[in-house]
Amino acid sequence: MAAREPSRYLARSFSRAILPSARPQSVCFRRNASDDAASKSPADELESSSLATAVPENVVKSFDPIARAKSRKGQLPRSRYQFRSPKYDRGPLHPHQPPPPSDPSSRLFVPGPFSLPRTEQTWESTVAPDILTLCYVHNPPGFKPPPKAPRLREWDDSSPYHKNRQLRGPRGGDVLRLLRKPIRFNNIPVVERVTIHSYVKQAATDNSSWLHVAGMAMQAISNVRVDTFKSKTSVSTWGIAPGRDSVAVKAELRGENMQHFLGKLIDVVMPRIKEWDGIKGTSGDSSGNITFGLEPENVALFPEIEVNYDMYPPKMIPGCHVTLHTSARTDKDARLLLSAMGIPFHGKLVD
Amino acid sequence: MSLTTPLRRSAVTTTTIRTPTTFICSQCRHATLLRRPKRPYTFTQLVTLSDGSTYTQRTTSPLPVYRSTRDTRNSLLWNPSSHKLMNVEEDEAGRLAAFRAKFGRSWDANTPTEEEVKKKEDDVKVHTEAAAAQAAGEQTLEKNNEAAEVEKARLMAEQAKEDQEEEDNLLDLISSFGQEEEAGNKK
Repeated sequence: MAAREPSRYLARSFSRAILPSARPQSVCFRRNASDDAASKSPADELESSSLATAVPENVVKSFDPIARAKSRKGQLPRSRYQFRSPKYDRGPLHPHQPPPPSDPSSRLFVPGPFSLPRTEQTWESTVAPDILTLCYVHNPPGFKPPPKAPRLREWDDSSPYHKNRQLRGPRGGDVLRLLRKPIRFNNIPVVERVTIHSYVKQAATDNSSWLHVAGMAMQAISNVRVDTFKSKTSVSTWGIAPGRDSVAVKAELRGENMQHFLGKLIDVVMPRIKEWDGIKGTSGDSSGNITFGLEPENVALFPEIEVNYDMYPPKMIPGCHVTLHTSARTDKDARLLLSAMGIPFHGKLVD
Repeated sequence: MSLTTPLRRSAVTTTTIRTPTTFICSQCRHATLLRRPKRPYTFTQLVTLSDGSTYTQRTTSPLPVYRSTRDTRNSLLWNPSSHKLMNVEEDEAGRLAAFRAKFGRSWDANTPTEEEVKKKEDDVKVHTEAAAAQAAGEQTLEKNNEAAEVEKARLMAEQAKEDQEEEDNLLDLISSFGQEEEAGNKK
């Protein structure tokens, strides 16, 4: 059998050679100027000096770039020219423009990601396929969804003043909700960003140490430098006036930081919260963002705060609000995603 | 202070070509400092969950290995069907155990333990089943029993037939849904 194999292949290739090809190549009456040039070998074209010279044996033997680099004591001096991003942005008309923040030479460049977080891997391997399966809706071939009424209603032209008037808002309220698109492989809900926010009420009445401690605690649990915010409104009972004093701290997490934060929040912190049976089912802004609060004693459960708990004055550890911004368009989808990632919900679920 | 922040932001966005529409047109001619973003130092930490599974994470905590005693693997909320976690006693400091070792458990001897409760439930189940079987045996004679079986078989066959018809109708409806409209369009 094995001996017959090559003959079979030969027969196949032979028949292919005999068959007339689609494009006749054999006979060509046209002549081009490049025909003569192609007949020459490329080596003839080049100068003889560069290629034909034989390298002496001792040079070949001494050429060892790896050993040479290893034997070097210090680093080589950097090249003479190095681009440095301008320190100041002098406006769009200035000739010396800073590079975009994604450029490593930019001053605003943030390197990373440096790890592949466990939460992200779980989402990729388990959560996304599960959601895709759960949200699959089968439509038989030839199915057309029944036409829906337009979201903004027309005026009924009963009055001449209806002419050129803007369209009416939806029935039962002025808010146009987000449209829920069917979930396909390319719009599976993901957690896009997480916002941790803390309003420190003693920061307005007492000294600023409350805010400093809150900022350090937020930074420790989130791996992100926090922003502070001043009060915008005036509430005399809380002792705040617009723009007078910083009262709130916020950390916005994206990408790798967010995934690590979610990982420790779900796996380590949430199970240790006493007397807690999940996020309230009524939370959410009905467009796929879910918020919940953590009490000061729950914030103290984070491993980063626990490891040197003595650093923080125990009274000053802040509580916070955590908002999970998902790419889902409805709270129902967001809850599906978050519960698949391990966040429990309790009570009546409002979608 | 509140004025300078939007100006800075707009200056930053000009580095990318897209310029947002600003309705408050206050011209800004000063150069804005491009601050280097500050990031806290992070360590790589090995987290060991209570069931022994491990993973690494980046964290500001300098601890190289974090062992958790309480996490999703051994909390009731995440394992609602776990029988072991259901009856877990709130005895984190070991005080109840120490009390029992010292004074015995005569103070709660009357409350049934877990095994006793289970045994009792099983007993009740067995009793009810036996009673039901007995009642059935008494009521139906053999003759009646046969007749009932025949009747039952007939009813089941009818039921199956009806189900099949219904399914066929449904399939027809589904497959003809789009076609009717198309036919209408052609006319």
